[in-house]
Amino acid sequence: MQTVNAQGNVLPVGELIISNEQATPQTVVNKVAERFFSTTDVDAIAVVEDNEPVGLITRTKLLFTLFRRFGFELYGKYPIIAIAETTPLIVPENERLDIVIDKALERQPQDIYDEIIVTTPGGAYKGLLSVKQLVIQQSNSLASNILQKEMASARARELEKINQVKSQFLANVTHELRSPVNAIIGLAELLRMSAEKGSIEQIKERLSFMISSATNLRAIITNILDLSKLEAGKMEVSFLEINATALISEIAETTRILAGKKPVTVKVEAPPLPIMISTDPVKLRQIIMNLASNAAKFTEQGEVTLSLSIIGSRLEIAVADTGIGIKEQDIDKLFIAFGQVEDAKTKQHEGTGLGLTISKNLAELINGSITIRSAYGKGTTFVVSLPLQNNNAGQGEL
Amino acid sequence: MQSKKKVLVVDDDEMHLYTTKELLQNDFIEVITHKNWLGVTNRVRDLQPDLVLLDINMPALSGDKLAAIIKPYCETMKTPIVFHSSNDEDSLRDLAKTHGVQGYICKGNVGDLRSKVNRYLKLQA
Repeated sequence: MQTVNAQGNVLPVGELIISNEQATPQTVVNKVAERFFSTTDVDAIAVVEDNEPVGLITRTKLLFTLFRRFGFELYGKYPIIAIAETTPLIVPENERLDIVIDKALERQPQDIYDEIIVTTPGGAYKGLLSVKQLVIQQSNSLASNILQKEMASARARELEKINQVKSQFLANVTHELRSPVNAIIGLAELLRMSAEKGSIEQIKERLSFMISSATNLRAIITNILDLSKLEAGKMEVSFLEINATALISEIAETTRILAGKKPVTVKVEAPPLPIMISTDPVKLRQIIMNLASNAAKFTEQGEVTLSLSIIGSRLEIAVADTGIGIKEQDIDKLFIAFGQVEDAKTKQHEGTGLGLTISKNLAELINGSITIRSAYGKGTTFVVSLPLQNNNAGQGEL
Repeated sequence: MQSKKKVLVVDDDEMHLYTTKELLQNDFIEVITHKNWLGVTNRVRDLQPDLVLLDINMPALSGDKLAAIIKPYCETMKTPIVFHSSNDEDSLRDLAKTHGVQGYICKGNVGDLRSKVNRYLKLQA
């Protein structure tokens, strides 16, 4: 009956046979002794008759018998069976390692390290096992079992963590979607009230709030869809030769509008000649626009600077602000979806906290990267580094 | 006419402050809004509101943590604290229970908002 023991060890001993040395019962003791003397590899020989094991002679016991007083004279010409152990431990080849070890160790102290005979299930001689080898094998498999267990539990912890992140993500998505929907429901009810009162001014005001909430909702949905497309690897890229300087100037214009009435200057710093780059213009615009609008959002006064510089074969676009900056311990969390602030339940400012995650993924998609330098209270600089050339670049104009 | 009941609404989202205020205020209810966790304690002490509605998801200090801070003041004034959030109803119920506040209201349910607020203020609906 095969049951798994505590260590989960079910290795059959047939696989651990070290030799199949054998002699017939009639082989004379001297002949057997010669075999032991001619090699050091043989530690035991099974006595086999008609394919069945009938005894065992070990090197130690043979030598012990022969070297006692008159041993050679007394026993040299005897058949080996006369001095062999005739009730050796015999196990079938499919027996489990741990059971065999138990049986081996239950023997008399002087026999404990005697080799063990292995037979086929039918009882035919198969070979010999060394107790020392079995014990080594057993401890190795114990060690690997422990290692496997540790690996399995590490994997389980990892999965648990991924699950937590996933459900936290889902909770965040749900909240982000519900929040503007709830605002829209509230505004609809308020509009109904205004309509009953017949106040056109109030209706106008509330309609514009409603449009802004709905627009916000649409932006969140677009972000979530973008992110899932990126994660599923379904975002397509098409490279074109474009004028990066023109693109950045255009983004600067929009950033000025976003900064609104705040005392914030939006500047562009670029070499005099336009920089041409082969890239996906839609993705690049989305990345830089996201960084620039963050800069405008988090800067109450001072400057937002968009700069272009060529470093070797790459273009670096830096978006620098003089805003609140980011604490060093929060920098790693920046690129995690919804990772805006310490507590996932809290939001730093408006927005879903998806923008940077999307930007980072988009940058990687167009063979670029985003790095960040920030000093808390002094401002933040994001640097997007992109190759100037990309293969399969088509021709196009911005 | 008796003086109006005062409801303090704390939320980081202006749109939600606007809708909650406009939906609730009437001849019997005065709504005071507060768009930050900063200074809420002082506001509660000065205003002595009859009810505090707390959003959960707010920057830096979430509503549940804020509740723990203002709870001692509210208890002396017998002012109920109620969570008002877009979170899952289940999680709101749990949060309300864990923090020992008087209840919760799910954002987006206008009827529920009005009836629950009236009940906490002991007003006829």
